[in-house]
Amino acid sequence: MRAMNMKKVIVRTQLLLAAMVAMAMLLAVSAYAAAPGIKGTTFSLVAAPAYLTQPDGQAVYSWGYGCATTFTPTYAPSNLSRTGFCNTMQVPGPTLIVTEGTQVTVTLTNNLPNAAGNTSILFPGVTLNAFASGNGTPGLLTQEAAPGQTVTYTFTAPSPGTRAYYSGTQSDLQVEMGMYGALIVLPDPTKVPGACTSPAIRTNLYGVTDWATVNKVPGAPEQDYRLAASAYDHPDTCYDREYLFQFAEMDPRIHTQAEAQVLAIQAKGGCTAGAPGCSLEVPTEPYHPSYFLINGRSMPDDMDPNYATQYPHQPYNGDPHMHPGELTLIRVIGQGRWQHPFHEHGNHVRILGRDGNLILSSTTSQITYANGGSGTGLAGPLLFTTTTTPGLAFDGIFYWTAKGLNWDAYGHNPSSKDSNATPACTPDANGYNTGAAAQSAINYFEWCQDHNKPVQKAPFGDVAGGGPTTLPDPNLFTNGAWYGGSPYLGPDATTRATGCNTGAQANGSAQGAACGQTGSTPPSGTIANSPSTEAGFAFMWHSHNEREITTNNIFPGGMLMMMLVDSREYVIDETN
Amino acid sequence: MRKPYQVWMPILLVAFAAVAASAQSFRVQCPTTTITHPSSLNNNNAEPTYSAPTSLVMGPNGYLIPDPNATNANVNGAIKCQQISGGDGYSTMGDGTQTYMFSFGPLSGLADIANGLPGTQFPSVFNVQGPKLFPGDPATTDNPTIPVTPTQLAGFTYNGAVGLALNVANLVSIYDIVEIGHTVYVQTNSPLGLSDGDPVVISGTGLAYDGNQNVLHANVLGNTFPAGVTNYGFAAVNNFTFTLSTATNLADVNTSQTAVAGIPAGYDGHVDPRPIMDVGVMNGNIPAPLMAIDEDDEFFLTLTNVGMIMRPDLFEQHTVHFHGYPNASSFYDGVPDASVAINIGASFTYYYLAPDAGTYFWHCHITPPEHLQMGMVGQLYVRPRQNRVAAGNSLFAALQQQEKDNRTKCDSTSDILCSNPLPRQLPTDAAPSDNGVTRASTGNYAYNDGDGSTYYDVEYPIQIHGFDPNFHFVGMTFNPEGFSDMKDKYFLLNGRSYPDTVTPGPLFTQTVDGSNHFSQPLSAIINMMQGQKALLRISDLDVSEYQTLASLGIPMKVVGYNAKLLRDQAGNNLYYSTNSITLAGGESLDVILDSTGVPKGTYYLYTPNLDHLSNDAENFGGLMTEVHVN
Repeated sequence: MRAMNMKKVIVRTQLLLAAMVAMAMLLAVSAYAAAPGIKGTTFSLVAAPAYLTQPDGQAVYSWGYGCATTFTPTYAPSNLSRTGFCNTMQVPGPTLIVTEGTQVTVTLTNNLPNAAGNTSILFPGVTLNAFASGNGTPGLLTQEAAPGQTVTYTFTAPSPGTRAYYSGTQSDLQVEMGMYGALIVLPDPTKVPGACTSPAIRTNLYGVTDWATVNKVPGAPEQDYRLAASAYDHPDTCYDREYLFQFAEMDPRIHTQAEAQVLAIQAKGGCTAGAPGCSLEVPTEPYHPSYFLINGRSMPDDMDPNYATQYPHQPYNGDPHMHPGELTLIRVIGQGRWQHPFHEHGNHVRILGRDGNLILSSTTSQITYANGGSGTGLAGPLLFTTTTTPGLAFDGIFYWTAKGLNWDAYGHNPSSKDSNATPACTPDANGYNTGAAAQSAINYFEWCQDHNKPVQKAPFGDVAGGGPTTLPDPNLFTNGAWYGGSPYLGPDATTRATGCNTGAQANGSAQGAACGQTGSTPPSGTIANSPSTEAGFAFMWHSHNEREITTNNIFPGGMLMMMLVDSREYVIDETN
Repeated sequence: MRKPYQVWMPILLVAFAAVAASAQSFRVQCPTTTITHPSSLNNNNAEPTYSAPTSLVMGPNGYLIPDPNATNANVNGAIKCQQISGGDGYSTMGDGTQTYMFSFGPLSGLADIANGLPGTQFPSVFNVQGPKLFPGDPATTDNPTIPVTPTQLAGFTYNGAVGLALNVANLVSIYDIVEIGHTVYVQTNSPLGLSDGDPVVISGTGLAYDGNQNVLHANVLGNTFPAGVTNYGFAAVNNFTFTLSTATNLADVNTSQTAVAGIPAGYDGHVDPRPIMDVGVMNGNIPAPLMAIDEDDEFFLTLTNVGMIMRPDLFEQHTVHFHGYPNASSFYDGVPDASVAINIGASFTYYYLAPDAGTYFWHCHITPPEHLQMGMVGQLYVRPRQNRVAAGNSLFAALQQQEKDNRTKCDSTSDILCSNPLPRQLPTDAAPSDNGVTRASTGNYAYNDGDGSTYYDVEYPIQIHGFDPNFHFVGMTFNPEGFSDMKDKYFLLNGRSYPDTVTPGPLFTQTVDGSNHFSQPLSAIINMMQGQKALLRISDLDVSEYQTLASLGIPMKVVGYNAKLLRDQAGNNLYYSTNSITLAGGESLDVILDSTGVPKGTYYLYTPNLDHLSNDAENFGGLMTEVHVN
């Protein structure tokens, strides 16, 4: 009996969560990711407490790094319109974006509760300059800031790449409480390979008039949201988009205990830091995390915008989008204490380097790349599941095309009267539609070998028939919340495949009569990825320790996000 | 997203009832000819030799097709089909405990699966109606003991699609038939239910109309008829057209007493649901049915959702996620959130052209922490083109041939995800070059290496998994499951823990229907003759922790990782030798064990995660198996 009542409670909770997912998606019209942070050479940070919100409604007491109130950061990328805030505490801490070879100064002021004691920042993979006498308090691993005090770290920004930073003081507790962030080192502009900035590379961003501009799509044309043109000083590390994901777990019992002890010590009064009975004694083992975070948020919150006002202390999201063929740089850091096997649906990831170390072939003779650059060959592995171990960062490049599907992902139909259903596909040296004429075409980067090739034997709607498969009656399956509404990519294809576009089909069959008889795949359940405006191919990117895609025992949640490959009809606007 | 569906389901069922007439709920698909594999050019029931890429020409419908000119015809690969059930079942753990599972079971290749082989079949084997089948077949028929003897398994040889049934022949009277040019317009008294391209038999007209035809257009509106064709006002579903190239402008035949159009009886995907339910219900396997395809194959995988008998409260869909497929399509990726998921009592056919060779795996993607833990995990690998090179021919030259087709080439200079460029013999070499290795007369290769370095004599798929008995008990008893406290206590290789891993043949479990079912068909013993090389295709689908597998005695050479050859952009092999490998759920790895110079005897693969050498409370067993060098 009790069990059944419990079940009802859980079901209600899950329904509530589903409703929250729906609400979140309705509120967030478009919310993409980029890799936002603060850029420069001098950073003034504080460590402070605040509450992190989780999708189950909990507010979890946490500590984190933020910007000093006297410090005016420079936000990057510069075209993010919501460069809203760098709060006095955020999880992850502000992403510090610096340039290879520059002198960097990071000042940290300890505004944690006195009971928390000292704090600090470790910069693994970075050689710090010597500390001047009186700069901070000596600690086990580095100089620390005592409560209310300040410490300054200075260093020369090392080789390009993504690295972690995190607390080096009582790390088992402080990192768990949220004291971690990312350090992104951009290549020296003079070392960015010319091949990455010339118009010749495959990208939507250089020297081309894109589809959205030609077709006067409302809003901005495709913009450049990158921090740099290449990830490393190497011509095969050019990229078109980038995203940063930091993985961590939270055991709420640790946070609850820390908060209780902080309050108790404050209530006791008269405590000097470090005095007996005045320090935290929070057990951090046994460890039973129940929140699994990407950039401090659990799914579905991670797919809300960067700097969303409802998460004042969790400004960074995880909501990748890309067009077919775009080289997407993913920067990933394991910030918790567990390893997380992160599975990127859709394709493999080429690991470029780890902790800022580009992995290169032992053959030193140069490879001349198709983009014109030359360099030593890459030797990082190709992975469909990218494991992050604690403290380890990697940079990888992912892309998606329809190559090898053996059917036309756009549902092109040579006999259609819709001009978007009958574009040309002129293969380049690699078989993709990327020529000058294709740059403003709906099917830029289409895989031409399968152009016009049908997948369905007798499709409803205005897509080519005669293919090998028959789809089940729509009443026999359940639609997903990110289902674009048809097997095809893009709103034009989806509208043709599912709509009653009378007369559009020019092959003489009775299009009008078929309408309304069998219906089509009803995309009624879709709450994201609108069939009429986006209709992207959605791929789940998630921890394959599957129990981590839950939020406090509720599925779905945790380390999970939906990556969308969007047709060029859909402008990927990351400005919010 | 599971529970919300439960609320929606009644709504869906109402809708279903309203339009059930048009629905064909269970359906298997295994065409004998396709655009890519036309049976006129290729025997789709065998793997042809690979000598060069398929030559493609622009076809009449605006897309590329294999060159129909017989002298140029060079079609690679074939058609492969498989059917599986999604439902539930029981398995037996190493300590004898019967464990409840959500699970997939075989609905094709029953005999092959029972023999530890893939259930993937050519159309000629798949499209065969079966004998009368019983719940638990072939275990029921063969009265198995453990270990199952080869003699016991010899009696059951059926590998076709369970439930396959001939379509009902249908005949309607032709009201009017007339040809304009080469196009024949047919108006029938009742609809035949035709689609474009369907075969139709015309007879009794007394003219050259008679014979086997293929529908050009079905559902033709009468008011679209050209001049010379009288519109008798039938609904569009009564009208169709076909092309007759052998005769022009044949006379109109109107209201003939004998003219009829018919659909011949044949396999069009219809099934008899009775054998599907008899065999599929409570027939879960761990690991789920093995799949194996060859590069260039078209693969049709039909998932038939038979429901979970022990959990009638769950209206659970199931899906198949082909884990690791490069450039996957979202629609066939099996993520219910991003696509569609098949409901109970219906089938969905997944369609892929085989991706690059490698060790992949598959699993259900509905509520993954639950469905994976409960056992919906299986193995899948793709064999390389290089296996199909004629014996004695150069492997390097064959890889150069692959470079001639954009689909099969791997070019480091333009594709950052290319993993097997032409091999370089030494890092100091100026360029890749041929080491002179030719296709061996026996054995196979794990990848298109071009240098023979992934050669093996025998291959063994090994899947690492873990079961949490508390979760499985709770999963059977209608209680909410806790995810964050999940703790595996059975550590499995191919769904078995030691000592069951070294029991040859399938293991069976008696389930609640009173029948024995082959629950764990795949042994984990590695058998090899002294001097042979064994390829271990290792995948891990544990949902809660990393697991390590170590080799006692024979070094492990790792040649592939995550279904990619370990090779850098310059063509240097990055293989490494090790004594242990560590995988997370969602990873795979290819290991070659070379027994050259290894004394005959028994060696062990075991986990140095010593607490995983246990079967729940038994301090013995777990993640361990044996390598027999004979």
